[in-house]
Amino acid sequence: MNGSWLPVVGRRLISLVWVVVGVSLITFIISHLVPGDPARLVAGDRATPEIVAHIRSQLGLDLPLPQQYLHYMGQLLHGDLGTSIRTHRPVLQDIAAFFPATLELALVALILATVLGIPLGVLSAVYRNRLTDHLARTLAVAGISTPAFWLGLGLIVIFYGNLGWLPGGGRIDQGMAPPPGVTGLYLIDAALAGDWPVWRSALQHMLLPAITLGFVHLGVVARQVRSSMLEQLNEDYVRTARAYGLSPWVVVLRHALPNALIPSVTVLGLALGDLLYGAVLTETVFGWPGMGAYVVDSIQALDFPAVMGFAVVVSFAYVVLNLLVDLLYRRLDPRIRGIG
Amino acid sequence: MQFMIQTGARRAVMAAVMGLGALALAGGAAAATPADTLVIGKPADPQTLDPAITIDNNDWTVTYPAYQRLMRYKQVDGKGSTEVEGDLAASWTTSPDNLVWTFTLNAGQQFADGTAVDAQAVKQSFERLLAKKQGPSEAFPADMKIDAVDAKTVRFTLKKPFAPFLYTLANNGASIVNPKAMQRPDADAWLSGHTAGSGPYQLVSWQKGQALTLERNPHYAGSKKPVLDKFVVKIVPESSARRLQLQKGDLDVAEELPVDQLQALKKDKAVHVAEFPSLRVTYLYLNNAKGPLRSADLRHAVVDSLDYKGIVDGIMMGQAKQMRGPIPEGMWGYDADLPQPKQDVAAAKALVSKAGGVKSPLLLRYSTQDPAWEPIALTVQANLTAAGIPVKLEKLANATLRENLGQGNFDISIGNWSPDFADPYMFTSYWFDSDKKGLAGNRSFYSNPQVDGWLREAATLSDQSKRIALYKQVQEQVVKDAAYAYLYQKNYQAGLGANVQGFVFNPMLERVFNVADMKK
Repeated sequence: MNGSWLPVVGRRLISLVWVVVGVSLITFIISHLVPGDPARLVAGDRATPEIVAHIRSQLGLDLPLPQQYLHYMGQLLHGDLGTSIRTHRPVLQDIAAFFPATLELALVALILATVLGIPLGVLSAVYRNRLTDHLARTLAVAGISTPAFWLGLGLIVIFYGNLGWLPGGGRIDQGMAPPPGVTGLYLIDAALAGDWPVWRSALQHMLLPAITLGFVHLGVVARQVRSSMLEQLNEDYVRTARAYGLSPWVVVLRHALPNALIPSVTVLGLALGDLLYGAVLTETVFGWPGMGAYVVDSIQALDFPAVMGFAVVVSFAYVVLNLLVDLLYRRLDPRIRGIG
Repeated sequence: MQFMIQTGARRAVMAAVMGLGALALAGGAAAATPADTLVIGKPADPQTLDPAITIDNNDWTVTYPAYQRLMRYKQVDGKGSTEVEGDLAASWTTSPDNLVWTFTLNAGQQFADGTAVDAQAVKQSFERLLAKKQGPSEAFPADMKIDAVDAKTVRFTLKKPFAPFLYTLANNGASIVNPKAMQRPDADAWLSGHTAGSGPYQLVSWQKGQALTLERNPHYAGSKKPVLDKFVVKIVPESSARRLQLQKGDLDVAEELPVDQLQALKKDKAVHVAEFPSLRVTYLYLNNAKGPLRSADLRHAVVDSLDYKGIVDGIMMGQAKQMRGPIPEGMWGYDADLPQPKQDVAAAKALVSKAGGVKSPLLLRYSTQDPAWEPIALTVQANLTAAGIPVKLEKLANATLRENLGQGNFDISIGNWSPDFADPYMFTSYWFDSDKKGLAGNRSFYSNPQVDGWLREAATLSDQSKRIALYKQVQEQVVKDAAYAYLYQKNYQAGLGANVQGFVFNPMLERVFNVADMKK
């Protein structure tokens, strides 16, 4: 990579500040527009008005809204996401417990979508309008249009209920101690610790949810790769390469594919964001202990600090991941290296 | 395109597919739960384990067996009862004016770390509960004074008599907490994620969103003798997955299964569906203070037009019992002489025309917090329309619904109620006292000075027969006033592995398992 990436990273990190301010402000406003009193939810319906008022002041909900927001941002500058109204624990601590599971699931789903989606797209383009193409396209459309909820339950019924090959949910076998937490990603942590029984259990648990979550994006990736592959295969340089007598295999994989993949990198970057936000249903079906259930419960309990913490952390992760994708993009495509 | 690269591509695809297959086959996954462990599957993680904070039965599954209280609910003939007996308390006395309650503690009781459970621990636990001023404190007189007379004697002094006091001491909120935990600098955060009690089991690990593991408390000195070494609360959010895991033996108990899934489970020999009548009731709030339902005739018309049998048999699939009045069957003070409400469309129509008809539709606001509420709302709409009362339905998010209920912005709404302590006070003073209008309990905004007088008198008496007589009067009057429409009390159902024994449901402790008595 040449020297021009440093200013890009600098600019992106500055824009990150604005993203966090914007996301937190919008989330704050929306969550305070929802009618409902979190203090009442904490106290319970039967609590006296005195108890509710006490809790409201304890949570700082009796302060004017701008003051509440400034207070929140002040805490955020110190890396403090506040205390959850629902669990009474620091939000950062809650998110630290749930985020790695979501991230791990999203990453594995993305890897599955990539590893299967790219060959599918290539095959589809190479055998355009033939049986392979039709099958691949059908699979891609099925991926895009199958509800994760339905697919997840179906996979559980078949692979856990009927065949008994894979576990029916959770992240690791019941009674097995999780690997020592280095990254929070069980597959990596177990591998680092050399604990292969745990690694195997984590992988078995990961498989069905990752397939469920990755299936949608597999379709997106396959379609994207197919269309840009078709474009590349009609380019002059491909014809030239073929005229030189290079084998079809080499032409497709060494010449056309790298160019066809460039737009796919963008799609994958966006997909990862989608996977982080969109894992809720999959997590619910598989009892995957990620952020999904935590956020849904928090929204229902009007737990503002938790909801805002989620939005801030995910947008942060999203910006950082997209930055990485952009850097990768520059690496893959020399034409944009000089462009900031 | 005429590239001939089938073999290479095919090989790659085949390799990928076979790789996945090999992973899948790398060892079977399903296994029965260990013999010394009871695994309970629930849909959601607890929120907080701090007994001074939690008002959610889902949290009590963990906290109730981890703590002890002065009193506990009795088991009578192997069945749960709403009567109480001493747990930490060996004996107690009351002053003649019912203001001073003195308890003597059982000897030798210890917290899980070996610290003695003494009068100071009791005093500090209650003082913390009252100082926190959170939901659970609401069941206790806010101004009571607690004194540790000596190591084994604790005295509660009330400002005014509170008849249900003894019963409130069996509440989850009345749990006695280890003073060492309360003295930690991070006590609040710590207690929300750990247990510090003297109950038969203690929390040893909590993998958020996955499982909570409790092990036997080595210092437990209570009268129960736990059989199983461990119990695990496993979080399985999806009900179909819970059902499947129960059937495959990965769970010993599955909670919160929908009625239709339970029906299906009844055919499975590996599973036993436990059913018990509960004290959780479902009823309609009728706005007595605002709008057309200020008219008692119109409220009676609503009561007469409802298809009670259809709701119990159709929506609840028979897993419920129709109520007569506010106090459900199984709670002392229940009045079996009250007439059973019945659908009588002709009578309802007559009452509607007597009230001068209904011009604009009544607003029925509800949420889907309980899956039964939507079908109930639709049934109510159909029934009332047939009697000449147009109804407009409005579905809201539950938090928004509560806000509207608190402010009386509805004509009709649907609610569930279950008691915090085993006293008819929970179904009368809360529902009808004009001081508790709104979310606090009187959600119909009912007001009758005579009823207020009876309720307040009953709350101060210690003579149970006199209280029963007053509650009988109250029930007759509020039925006459058609303050609410009482629908049903629901059955509690849970799926248990066929080998699980000893589960005794207590209607006061829904979602709490008597793990110390259970075995398999």
